[in-house]
Amino acid sequence: MTVQPDEVVVTVTVNGETVRHLVDPRTTAADFLRDGLELTGTHLGCEHGVCGACTVLLDGRSVRSCILYAPQLDGCEVTTVEGLSPVPGELHPIQEAFRECHGLQCGFCTPGFLLTVHEFLSETKGADEDEIREAISGNLCRCTGYQGIVAAVQRADETWQR
Amino acid sequence: MAAVTGTSVRPTAPPGLIGTRVNRVEDARLLAGRGRYVADVTLPRIKHAAFVRAWPSHARILSIDTTRARTLPGVVAALTAADLPPATLVDGNWIPGLAKTPQPVLARDKVRFVGEAVAIVVATSRYVAEDAAELVEVDYEQLPAVDHAGRRPSGHVPILDELPDDLIYDRGESFGNPDLMFRDAPHVFVKDLALARSMAAPLECRGTVASYDPAAGSLDVWCSTQSPHLLRRRLSAASGVAEHRVRVMMHDVGGGFGQKIAAHPEELAIALASCALGIPVKWIEDRRENLMAAPHARGQRVHLKLATDDDGRFLALRARIVGDAGAYSFNAASALIEPYITARVMTGVYRIDHYGYHVAAGLTNKSPVAPYRGVGFIAAQTARELLIDEAARSLGIDRFELRRRNMIRPDDFPYRSCTGLVFDSGSYLEALTTVERMSAYDDFRCEQEQARASGRFIGLGISPYVEPTGWGTEAMNQIGWHSFPSNDSARVSMDISGKVTISIGTPSQGQGIETTLAQISAEVLGIPLDDVVVSFTDSSSAPTSLAGTRASRAAVVSGGAVGLASQDLRERILKVAGALMETDASILTVADGVITDPSEDAASMTVAEVVQKAFQLTEIRSAEPEPNFTATRFYDPGATYGNACVGAVVEVDPQTGGVRVLRIVGAEDCGTVINQVVVEGQFIGGMAQGLGGALLERLAYDENGEILTTTFMDYLLPTSTEVPHFEVEHLESPSPYTWRGIKGVGESGTIGAPAAIAAAIADALAHTGSTVDRLPMLPEDVRAMVEQGEDRG
Ligand code: FES
Ligand code: FES
Repeated sequence: MTVQPDEVVVTVTVNGETVRHLVDPRTTAADFLRDGLELTGTHLGCEHGVCGACTVLLDGRSVRSCILYAPQLDGCEVTTVEGLSPVPGELHPIQEAFRECHGLQCGFCTPGFLLTVHEFLSETKGADEDEIREAISGNLCRCTGYQGIVAAVQRADETWQR
Repeated sequence: MAAVTGTSVRPTAPPGLIGTRVNRVEDARLLAGRGRYVADVTLPRIKHAAFVRAWPSHARILSIDTTRARTLPGVVAALTAADLPPATLVDGNWIPGLAKTPQPVLARDKVRFVGEAVAIVVATSRYVAEDAAELVEVDYEQLPAVDHAGRRPSGHVPILDELPDDLIYDRGESFGNPDLMFRDAPHVFVKDLALARSMAAPLECRGTVASYDPAAGSLDVWCSTQSPHLLRRRLSAASGVAEHRVRVMMHDVGGGFGQKIAAHPEELAIALASCALGIPVKWIEDRRENLMAAPHARGQRVHLKLATDDDGRFLALRARIVGDAGAYSFNAASALIEPYITARVMTGVYRIDHYGYHVAAGLTNKSPVAPYRGVGFIAAQTARELLIDEAARSLGIDRFELRRRNMIRPDDFPYRSCTGLVFDSGSYLEALTTVERMSAYDDFRCEQEQARASGRFIGLGISPYVEPTGWGTEAMNQIGWHSFPSNDSARVSMDISGKVTISIGTPSQGQGIETTLAQISAEVLGIPLDDVVVSFTDSSSAPTSLAGTRASRAAVVSGGAVGLASQDLRERILKVAGALMETDASILTVADGVITDPSEDAASMTVAEVVQKAFQLTEIRSAEPEPNFTATRFYDPGATYGNACVGAVVEVDPQTGGVRVLRIVGAEDCGTVINQVVVEGQFIGGMAQGLGGALLERLAYDENGEILTTTFMDYLLPTSTEVPHFEVEHLESPSPYTWRGIKGVGESGTIGAPAAIAAAIADALAHTGSTVDRLPMLPEDVRAMVEQGEDRG
């Protein structure tokens, strides 16, 4: 691979697969995932760090991929919505809970919520409604009024064996 | 904890798929990250566009120089209005007295609002296109901004030369004899309410991909739209490509709420750019563009007067409404969509025989106003319900009681309002009583007293309402609104495997249409839900729906068309089955994909077998000469009106002006329920948007027409911590005038919640003597109420 003077190499493990890509250093992490790796499940709702639609896990922590640059992913592990369920065609218990509890309508905010909730439930068990609302308060949903999402987190808290 | 406390109070549907709680069929792909939104569309040779947008709010364009932009490496073209065929957008409304304001897809001689598109740069990436857009030099001669409908700045220059006073509409109408009633009325109450601009703000911004093929002379367009067929018409008119060679496609749409009804200037400009360049061009809007240049909503001032007798009976009502149109009367439905609808639905769920209104709408140097969920209703609902509360307080009559005295009663149906709306059925009183029970009103009063004694201010607001849904031709005639033909057709086709594909022109933006329409068809046909798919992805294969998905109409109109077409198809299948089974088709039953002859010891065939035999056996043609299993039906429903009541409890902090919504309860009636999961989702999601409009969302401009709210840090959407847990109950009054009694519910919650919250704030601060006179009520507005009270006290 010939590296142009205005490009950098990024080596990153995304959903368990290690890839090496040349990028223009000002490419955002979100655009790199969406356009470079064709993982279009990560959505962009504001591109200024408020809505949370672009949330992915970076070394297990939730981050907003719209305000990170692709080179900042170098050497890291990233999980996107496409990597939540290890088996294609099957849903992760969190995804299943969103379906059961009508935790989505248009689905645009949903990938961001799923990863935020994944991080939250990885660390917490038996949270009450207020704690759940606090945990998801950095993600905007324009459709659901959050009620189905809160119910889905409660359901996943019970069903996800972790 | 259950997500929703809900009971079907009047279950009417026999057990079947219609009326069953079914999880949505669209969810699996959306949850897996496999939704396909317009930003995910890519094509060979695709290039990316960025718009150069006006920074002054009102200015003449003296010159545009794209030279520097075009020389940047990676730039394919920089196009201005002069480089493209002239194309304008005009509203299709034919209300007498409404002026037309053609909007160029790229500004030509003048810019009229901050954010108006002036030029397009097309480049190898969005990054390069944005860099180049900054290199386009536009020379402006600035003009004074009209920042307020009807107000002229010094040195005023009309926004459109043809409209010297900027007014696009200025008329009124009277029903009964309001003058006489006001003259003799023992009591007259007055209310002023100003609604700020707010907007739909779907989480997915607008976007389009246009691909013109010069060899085929065809234009393919992917778009985040609510109305693919309407867009196709406008694209054809603008580009000159015949309509049958224009295809509009979409897969998933990340919310619309009205903003994506119109054909947007940008969508046409991108198509024209693709035609000019002969390559696919993609434009994905960013949030800043959406907040400043996508259509806004609300922006109204309402002045209302109510005459009552000593018992609080409503004698007459009068309204004066001024709408802020923005820079153009937008093509979605014209700038009257807010103030005129407000005027026409003002009397609400009450018996009011004498009513007069006056509506004025004026251009301003701001982004144009277009429909947003609850359009027009919210201003009427909020002004009227606040006024009724003020009348109740002043007359010393309980607020529930005053409403009850004046409400349309069950034996009034069908009830003809003085403005000519014919309410078909409903549960107005019952919804009010349900909310009274749910909010534990009697206990609340004691609680409020105790709280006040300890220095806490809580209040309760109630908001009962009726809304036109479906908006078929008859409803539009009743409302006096003439802007789009509101009928739909649906095609229901069974393939040789016995499975069904439904084609419709009303795409989903999250409303669960793929599920509810499949439920309807599967129930009518007697086949499993899984055997039906709904397709709305392509304007060239879907039957025409010029209205698209809007106005709480898809379940009523598309639902009815799907129901009727499925009935036709069922008859045809049974006719063939009767011939094959040598029996009278009318006695056959079908369930779970199996057709049974009850007279013959349960002789049976599957639906799939019947269809396969019909294709193979020529003998069948004596019974069914054309055994094709496709049925298309047209549907234009009778006028139907949904109703609901919302109650809200808030706590106001008089020190900070902060408002916390403690509870929201709602009783909702959308006639026959197809799927409670979807109805609750629509109602609750709608109430959350209403909460935003009541407490958070305000698009602000300074006096020069400069927009101040261009990020989600300035324009605040409700988050999970501002929104309470909603408690919902269902009532069910099927419409006598629609297929299976279905009514719409898409807008309901958004209409009801703002009035309930505003009234709750007024109740909490009633002791100050101050009133709520605006929406949203931001902390500074609440503080102003408290201070006014202190000044008085
Ligand atoms: S798109 Fe990243 S936070 Fe909104
Ligand atoms: S489901 Fe549409 S934004 Fe959340």
